[in-house]
Amino acid sequence: MKEEERDNYYVQGLAVPETPEPGAEPKPWSKTAIVGQARPRVDAYERVSGTAIYPSDYTFANMLYGAILRCPHPHARVKKIDISGARQIDGVHGVLADTTTGGDIRWPYVMQWPYEAEKISKLFDSHCRFEGDAVAAVAAATPCQAMDGVRAIKVDYEVLPFVADERQALKPDAAKVHDDSNQVNKQTYSRGNVEQGFGEADVVLEKTFRTACELHTPLELHGCVANWDGDRLTIWESTQGVYAIQSKVAELLGLPLSKVRVIGHYLGGAFGSKLQPGKYTVIAALLARQTGRPVKLFLAREETFLVVGNRPPANMTIKAGIKKDGTLTALEFTGIATGGAYPAGGMTLLDWLVRDLYTCPHVKTETTDAYINGGPARPFRAPGHPQCSWALEQIIDDLAVAIGMDPVELRFKNIPTVSQGREGTPPYTTTGLEECITKGAEAFGWQQARQRTAAGRKEKGHLKRGVGMGSCVWFAGGGGPPSTMIVKLFSDGSVNLNMGASDIGTGTKTIMAMVVAEELGIKPEMIQIEHGDTGTTQYATSSGGSKTVPTEAPTVRSATIEVKRQLLSMAAVDLAADPADLRYNGQYIEVAGAGSRKIKITDITKLKKRGVVVGVGYRGPNPENKVINPFGAQFCEVEVNIKTGEVRIVRFLGAHESGRVMNRLTFDNQVFGGITMGIGLGMTEFRVLDTNRTGKMVNRNWHDYKLPTALDVPADMISIAIEMPDSEANNTGA
Amino acid sequence: MMPNFSYIRPESLQEAITHLGSADARLHAGGTDLLPCLRDQVFDAKKVVSINGINDLRSIQETEDGSLRIGALTTITEVAENPLIRERYAALAQAAAEVASPQLRHQGTIGGNLCQKPRCWYYRGEFHCLRKGGKICYAKGGENQFHCIFGGKGCYIVHPSDTAPPLAAFAAKINIVGPKGKRTVEAAVFHVEPSKDVTRETVLEPAEIVTEILLPRPLQGLRSSYRKVRARQAWDFALAGVALVLQFQGNKVTKGRVVLCGAAPVPWRSYEVEKVVIGSALDDATISRAAAAAVKNAKPLEKNDYKIPLFQGMLEEELQKIKNG
Ligand SMILES: Cc1cc2nc3c(=O)[nH]c(=O)nc-3n(C[C@H](O)[C@H](O)[C@H](O)COP(=O)(O)OP(=O)(O)OC[C@H]3O[C@@H](n4cnc5c(N)ncnc54)[C@H](O)[C@@H]3O)c2cc1C
Ligand code: SF4
Repeated sequence: MKEEERDNYYVQGLAVPETPEPGAEPKPWSKTAIVGQARPRVDAYERVSGTAIYPSDYTFANMLYGAILRCPHPHARVKKIDISGARQIDGVHGVLADTTTGGDIRWPYVMQWPYEAEKISKLFDSHCRFEGDAVAAVAAATPCQAMDGVRAIKVDYEVLPFVADERQALKPDAAKVHDDSNQVNKQTYSRGNVEQGFGEADVVLEKTFRTACELHTPLELHGCVANWDGDRLTIWESTQGVYAIQSKVAELLGLPLSKVRVIGHYLGGAFGSKLQPGKYTVIAALLARQTGRPVKLFLAREETFLVVGNRPPANMTIKAGIKKDGTLTALEFTGIATGGAYPAGGMTLLDWLVRDLYTCPHVKTETTDAYINGGPARPFRAPGHPQCSWALEQIIDDLAVAIGMDPVELRFKNIPTVSQGREGTPPYTTTGLEECITKGAEAFGWQQARQRTAAGRKEKGHLKRGVGMGSCVWFAGGGGPPSTMIVKLFSDGSVNLNMGASDIGTGTKTIMAMVVAEELGIKPEMIQIEHGDTGTTQYATSSGGSKTVPTEAPTVRSATIEVKRQLLSMAAVDLAADPADLRYNGQYIEVAGAGSRKIKITDITKLKKRGVVVGVGYRGPNPENKVINPFGAQFCEVEVNIKTGEVRIVRFLGAHESGRVMNRLTFDNQVFGGITMGIGLGMTEFRVLDTNRTGKMVNRNWHDYKLPTALDVPADMISIAIEMPDSEANNTGA
Repeated sequence: MMPNFSYIRPESLQEAITHLGSADARLHAGGTDLLPCLRDQVFDAKKVVSINGINDLRSIQETEDGSLRIGALTTITEVAENPLIRERYAALAQAAAEVASPQLRHQGTIGGNLCQKPRCWYYRGEFHCLRKGGKICYAKGGENQFHCIFGGKGCYIVHPSDTAPPLAAFAAKINIVGPKGKRTVEAAVFHVEPSKDVTRETVLEPAEIVTEILLPRPLQGLRSSYRKVRARQAWDFALAGVALVLQFQGNKVTKGRVVLCGAAPVPWRSYEVEKVVIGSALDDATISRAAAAAVKNAKPLEKNDYKIPLFQGMLEEELQKIKNG
């Protein structure tokens, strides 16, 4: 390689951060050169040109296609099943049902088992408790033959009474999903004394709210390709975390972790629905074992609506007390939700915002999870939060009206600095809420917009405008251990980053390349990332819960610093100096104060001999007794046609405090995506079950289940980043 | 999953009619509705007969007497963009532009749009309902938030076509050929109410083909408009819609038709509105009376009474707009 080309690896004249003493945790950068920029994704070309290979793109010679026979009833018992017909179909090579090997594998719908352990399903459960539950499966040479095979299986169902609405499920005469009560769980929380709080209030309001069930329907379907090589299983899965798939599949199939390799390089959307393997994963593995051939099993869109998960419907009653000066005195909340037919976290975090978002001395909540004959709940972009927001933010607005105060000002009066909802009320490392509201309101022109729209509403005409706002905190988001990363610097100065975490479309790879580049002073393009493979990359928790960057970026930084330390001690030999006197400046290592005594990184003798320097990094612990949570405030203007009720969202602004913004493009992308999904929940999306007659889902397609289109989302969307230095959270401040 | 079928693409109408005469044959134009129906197993097909090879069906022409012929294979996009249609039959062009999404408008044809199958989610789903030859209507007493408020009997669909209401309002005619030769039917009576026959949507007999649509020469002082309200701004059918075709003399309405969409199993002519507005000046009082009259005889189902104020409000708005030209 020519000298100039090699220099291209480095950003000329870049001030790289000092390398900390061995063992010392570095402080977050005070100034950055690359981190924080608006940079296109490192894999933008691959994604846009179509060369990126998603799990659903994989094909292998000899590969078979799997298909699943699903129960068409919300509640039924399989009296008899005859799979012989499937075997007669041309091209069918494998058939699975509860009677074949593996068919009776126990199947939990949640990873951690919060409730009664006996409420557990089997891979093929003859007691089908929701429409779409798996009854049998087929592998065949073509997808059509697999479907033909599925259709040739004869099942005799005893159709059982069902309940498809959580509000009905808790009534005494409702059909039972399991043998006993339909109540999965009830949780209560209390601080202070709400009765006292309501007594102190000048105004007390109570209202009931409901949010409909929102279905997971990411662009890439759910599924995988499975292949056995002797006793070793490899799975290419569309997933948020290859290690989560590995551990559950290994456990269910009784394999050592080392024998299960899971690969997931790209992913076409997940939003919480691909944190775990599906039954389809295990079914594909079993079919592959039975047939001795690779099996590809991706669900059809219609199937995904039934089985891959949802944001559960929520029924919420909220009572709130306030003083005339805007001080909240008490909040009381009851919520009923459903995780479907099995314990699946139907009410997870449903009351969290009531407990934590606003300063309030007296709070009491009660949440109930009910069984219904419906598909399972799954984490879905902040479980519980949007539902709770819908109730809490509206009652706060109503209180503002009742006491004649601007809703922004009312929120200002109740901003917490400690997490009141947690044991011991630990402080947040940063509370950006106040700044989110101030800067957001200012950029949105809240005051002017309120006056303008109020005046407009008094004028003639049937198109009226209004503005609204809401604030939020997210329960998680700080990240934490474990995470292990390996950074390899090759003899030409280029770098390979080895990371187990998945990039679920949020730009994880890009951000990690920027961290390496920042620390080494090289161009992000010179970094190649190997990731998402349990066979070759290190253990990582799944990407989700807004925790991937704060978990992985500090680890990447530590691994990179380790590379620098090794380079310094290698250069010390060449320069005949003490490593402590050396400074790394990206392209060179030089003796401090004697700029002429220096050596090019690529000339370091040991590096040339070894060919590589390997740095391993681990994620350090989070600060004790501190809470790292992101905050936000959003503002929007809508236009309502008061003759027809049509609503048009005119503009939207989100101001978010999410720690250090590592890449402005991927940050904004998340904000806009979140707003768009929120518009879906608020305006167009809802599951419809035929609750009265059949219990079946009637809108399981992209036409009847209405995702917002580009025309439903305002072109005028603004993202504001509130960056507050956080030296405690982790070594990147992210 | 698609059924197994044979596919044929004849080049003449006669040949197409012969093929359509065989058992379980289905006519294929743009296929945007046919293929989804087959995939969802709404009905079966042994033979799919494409009429795309019949080029005569693919044009928009002005005839000598000033009327307009639209070939059945004309795409919805062409209807929406044709300058003559936009100028003389604005409501039709507007309705076509509101259909589905750009891709579907490029592929879907006007003939197919008139003959498309209902969108009732039970009908499209795994429910053997009355219209499919079963015993009950699942929508009655079920999830009927998007169903009809007029004309339901046995079946409660709304007719999905956006182009049918303006065609009925313009008093268009539909030319049909079949095994027994040619015939012409008024667009306004092309669709069949469930009270007459719950298993069919149009007057077409087996193996009959819609060949063209004839729009009469517009009258002096004619104004027209189409309005569609929907749950989502693209790729969605009407929750409520109206085609107004009114002849004005000054501010007085002398003649015209008002046809509702999203209201009934067929494009629904609102004689109630017509009665109020025809012969009157379209002032505020008339408009509110007309809008109220529109929903006076409505019979909402359990979950769609929101359509009553919706239709009323929409009609007020649209009548105001058309009054102002
Ligand atoms: C997702 C989606 C959204 C949609 N949204 C809308 C909407 O908002 N508004 C709206 O109006 N429509 C909407 N449609 C319907 C769409 O406009 C129709 O599918 C299209 O116009 C049909 O035309 P085609 O040529 O593709 O018909 P095909 O699919 O080929 O045929 C449809 C039916 O009509 C019959 N047929 C077709 N042509 C003739 C003929 N010349 N003579 C006799 N029978 C014939 C066929 O046998 C078939 O049964 C939507 C469709 C989809 C899939
Ligand atoms: S409304 Fe008509 S199409 Fe729908 S379920 Fe009833 S009978 Fe069937």
